[in-house]
Amino acid sequence: MMNVLSYQHFPIYAIMVLFLGAFLIVLFGKNKIARSCLALLSVTGSLALLVSLVPRVMLNGEIITYWMGNRAYAGGYAIGIALEVDALSLFFALLIAVAVFVSCVYSIRYMEHDDNIPQYYTLFLMLAGGVLGLVLSGDLFNMFIMVEILTFAAVALTAFRNTARGALEAAFKYLVVGSIGSTCILAGTIMLYAQVHTLNFAQLSALIPGHLNGSTRVAFALLFVGFSTKAFLVPFHPLAADAHGAAPASISVLISGVLTKSGIYGIIRLVYFLFQSMGLRPIQFMLVFVGSVSMFVCVTMALAQHDFKRLLAFHSISQIGYVLTAVGLSTALGISAGLYHAMNHTIFKGLLFLAAGAVLHETGTTDLDRLGGLSKRMPHTTVLFLIGAASISGIPPFNGFASKWLIYQAAYLRAVETGNIGYLLVTIIALVTSTLTLASFVKVSQSVFFGRLPEEFKDVKEVPFGMRFAMSLFAILCVLTGLLPDLVTKLLSGPAAQAVLNPIRYIAAARGIEMPVENAALPQAAGAWSPINWLLLLGIALFAITLVALLGKYDQVSENASGEKLPAKYDLFFSGEKSVYSQVGGGDLFWGFKHNWRHYFSFMHDLHSGVVNDYALWAVVALALAIAFLQIVL
Amino acid sequence: MILMNYIAAFFLIVLGLYTIVTKYNLVKTVIGLSIMDYGVNLLIVTIGFNPGGTAPIFTFSELNPSSFFVDPIPQALTLTSIVIGACVTAMSLALVMKIYEQYGTMDTREVRRLRG
Amino acid sequence: MFSLAFLQTALLYLGYILIFPGFLFCFVIGLLLCGIDRKAVARMQKRVGPPILQPFYDFFKLCGKETIVPAAANRTTFMLAPLVGLAALVVIQLFIPVFNFRVFRNLPEVADIIVILYLLLIPAVSVMLGGAATGSPYAGVGLSREMVTVLAVELPLVLVLLSVAKTVGNALGNGLVFSLSGIVDFQAAHGSLIGRVSMIPAALAMLLIIPGETGNHPFDAAEAETEICEGLLAEYSGAPLGIYKLSHAVKMLTLTSLFVALFLGGIGTGVEHLVAAIGLTGGFAAALSLILQVLILVLLCIVLTLVTISFVHAVTARLKIEQLFKYYWTVVTGLALISLVLAWYGY
Repeated sequence: MMNVLSYQHFPIYAIMVLFLGAFLIVLFGKNKIARSCLALLSVTGSLALLVSLVPRVMLNGEIITYWMGNRAYAGGYAIGIALEVDALSLFFALLIAVAVFVSCVYSIRYMEHDDNIPQYYTLFLMLAGGVLGLVLSGDLFNMFIMVEILTFAAVALTAFRNTARGALEAAFKYLVVGSIGSTCILAGTIMLYAQVHTLNFAQLSALIPGHLNGSTRVAFALLFVGFSTKAFLVPFHPLAADAHGAAPASISVLISGVLTKSGIYGIIRLVYFLFQSMGLRPIQFMLVFVGSVSMFVCVTMALAQHDFKRLLAFHSISQIGYVLTAVGLSTALGISAGLYHAMNHTIFKGLLFLAAGAVLHETGTTDLDRLGGLSKRMPHTTVLFLIGAASISGIPPFNGFASKWLIYQAAYLRAVETGNIGYLLVTIIALVTSTLTLASFVKVSQSVFFGRLPEEFKDVKEVPFGMRFAMSLFAILCVLTGLLPDLVTKLLSGPAAQAVLNPIRYIAAARGIEMPVENAALPQAAGAWSPINWLLLLGIALFAITLVALLGKYDQVSENASGEKLPAKYDLFFSGEKSVYSQVGGGDLFWGFKHNWRHYFSFMHDLHSGVVNDYALWAVVALALAIAFLQIVL
Repeated sequence: MILMNYIAAFFLIVLGLYTIVTKYNLVKTVIGLSIMDYGVNLLIVTIGFNPGGTAPIFTFSELNPSSFFVDPIPQALTLTSIVIGACVTAMSLALVMKIYEQYGTMDTREVRRLRG
Repeated sequence: MFSLAFLQTALLYLGYILIFPGFLFCFVIGLLLCGIDRKAVARMQKRVGPPILQPFYDFFKLCGKETIVPAAANRTTFMLAPLVGLAALVVIQLFIPVFNFRVFRNLPEVADIIVILYLLLIPAVSVMLGGAATGSPYAGVGLSREMVTVLAVELPLVLVLLSVAKTVGNALGNGLVFSLSGIVDFQAAHGSLIGRVSMIPAALAMLLIIPGETGNHPFDAAEAETEICEGLLAEYSGAPLGIYKLSHAVKMLTLTSLFVALFLGGIGTGVEHLVAAIGLTGGFAAALSLILQVLILVLLCIVLTLVTISFVHAVTARLKIEQLFKYYWTVVTGLALISLVLAWYGY
């Protein structure tokens, strides 16, 4: 009998603490302090439990297998329900726990003016628990249950502010296409069960590669499409855009940082563990193709957006495309880079969504064509937003660059190794997508934070400290994970990538067999990048230049604090025209670029019609294509 | 006999998808989702069925290698799946009601404020 | 820790950063290139033109002028943006080898060419944010055009760098070389890359990229003085404006010396043998060969400036922004693509 405080119980505690919190908030949620404390306690508890597993699982390579009710194997069949935590599961679980923690801290001040806050926290914790359960589960059917829980919670939270423009519509579309995806997962699960009569993930992974037939191939396609809907990969990306646009910002953090990760996790488990098919070039092709298309299509869609949160949503999928592409390269460097980017994506995207939420909280709108000049009124939010924007656009030395750089290296190395010109194209797409990302974040900076302040937002104030604190947590993580890429690779993404490449250990661990950790060398990139040294050099150069610049003459008139009229030389220059409000910004800022691509953009605009039938049709077509493709190649 | 079940299950799934894709009424979309769910449920029960098997209810003393019964796990799965299906229907109908309140229409072609 | 050796090393690196090839070198040579460019353009257009040292005078004059921060501007961003941009450029200059001379010879390399590609975005982003922070509508238009210019130039630049990495990797038989000093080392041993078939289109593309990346005529839609009053710089004055002008000059140096490192890296590396041949040894010989190498680099940079910036400036008229984008994504990208395909198949 295991001690109840033994570490083997920690994974289930980490999940249950969230569901328990959800339950207790239903009971005691009327009181504001009680519900905040309960929510914070449960997310902190969950995070602490997972962090305490890091030394064992990440550094020692232990795999924790936990059988519910202590029902392990009987007669060679796993009949119990298992939780199996290897480095990959823990990696994703940590991401989720961190994002949930920060989002919860943010929610306390952000949601305080809404109705039905107890229900909000209940659904919030259910969503968190569902995703955590999904990544820690060692049982395929349980994964399906968790998928359903998280889809439900996410749909309900999308429609939470149901008076907001399009919230209900977004929730309905998400529910319809999300249900098609969930049904695909269920059908795939049951078709695998029909072949090998087990639902335990490790046992399935042991048996399925030997049982490839028409039926398992269909199951592969069903599961792949199912998890793709959860990750919102192309062609499911419009759902993400709709859902993010309507949901509260703290929920957008979870949808983009956490829910999409659960889809990526499912795909990794599917291709590397269940079917162990990543040695096959067609499967690599499938992942890299879907990833690259998502990467490119979504970044161009984002460039055409006029709404802050919709723009962020499309970028979210674009970055997920990076992750999937890197994972599809199926080299140690590629997987490690992809997981690293998945982590960074959670952090910087969370930060950006929270910044968008801060703007919404203060101004009541996220329309890029109406906003402008907020940097004077919200200086802290501006700085935090700029950190997030620099990260996602891959500007050194922030974290987005560190992982994207590894992805470029991995993709180009793969191109050279295989001599396949397709990977070369992927490298180029990845490099150009990064600059396109920069373009749309320059657009946001200009349209929201810089430029001129509209009359209607003159009295906007900075957001409360609680929200800034949550954003600062993400911002600090952005900088830290960018400056210490070696440490992150050693502690987090490296062990997870090793776990992905060693499905045999995962299978053996479920039977209680501890296999030795192969101390394979951590993946090495071909190039060189040491952010800390660069930062040191930049600091010294900046210092020297500042000294030189101080030679100049500076006037001491700072802010127009007293409200008196400053001399005319402090006005903006208008070539002698009368000064009127003239903000250059908004959705069409880069018309010089869009003009050259106008046919593409108008085609894409018409394609994303917003009719749920069209999106369902895309899902069906994707499913048919996946089934046909896998029947032919696998 | 069993083959008929499989055909029916896939027919129901495809019918459900067809309904979702081609019908422009929100309620019909919900009905399509339900039909698809029923198809999958039928598939699950069919997979667990052994012709001639008894109900899988035994005590430990009765259980021996020669006992022949239908697979109990898919039945358990079906129950879960039915519950989830009911939830989907309930939630989507609730959303449809609210959408009708806000948009004043049931036509999916007009419920598209978010696009592009 | 605080031993004499440590102090010596620290002083040495401080010297690298501040004097050569860092700040002072960039300052002098950059402004010199700028002056030569202005003079050459004037002569090509049959004008007398300013004295070659005019950019120096301009810089010091601007430093003496009053700096006016517009009341509508975000003060911190406005003041900080030019400084960060220039510092980033100076640091990039440290990573570009001067033939055999490297700042980081005994240390692990800090940045490879892909990193340099993205480090080059920092000055562009800082000028955009600085301009945007003023709230001026001219700056808004300038920002839009500047970003489109960056987008336009990025694709061919990526292709050029990838094809260089592949060509060197092919020749060395180990797949890929991303390290800039590795590329220069290779050229020192096997002759400059410009002599290879696959690299000729890439070099041509790079020559066309240089004026786009520096924002020189005819690719200067972003700061078109005659229509949008210098765009992003419309509200700048005094020392910050001087620093922007300096950044522009340093960027010319950075890109031309990057071109030298990528394609002409073999030219200056024989100098040591030459110095040894006349019978010099020891520290004096090393210093002499370094000076000679720097002279060769400066000379090459001047030639490149004359060819890519001054000549193109003198004979063309400014492109509209959508024409600029189209030009880069068709003609220049095409050249770079040819080179990449040739490199891919081992030519």
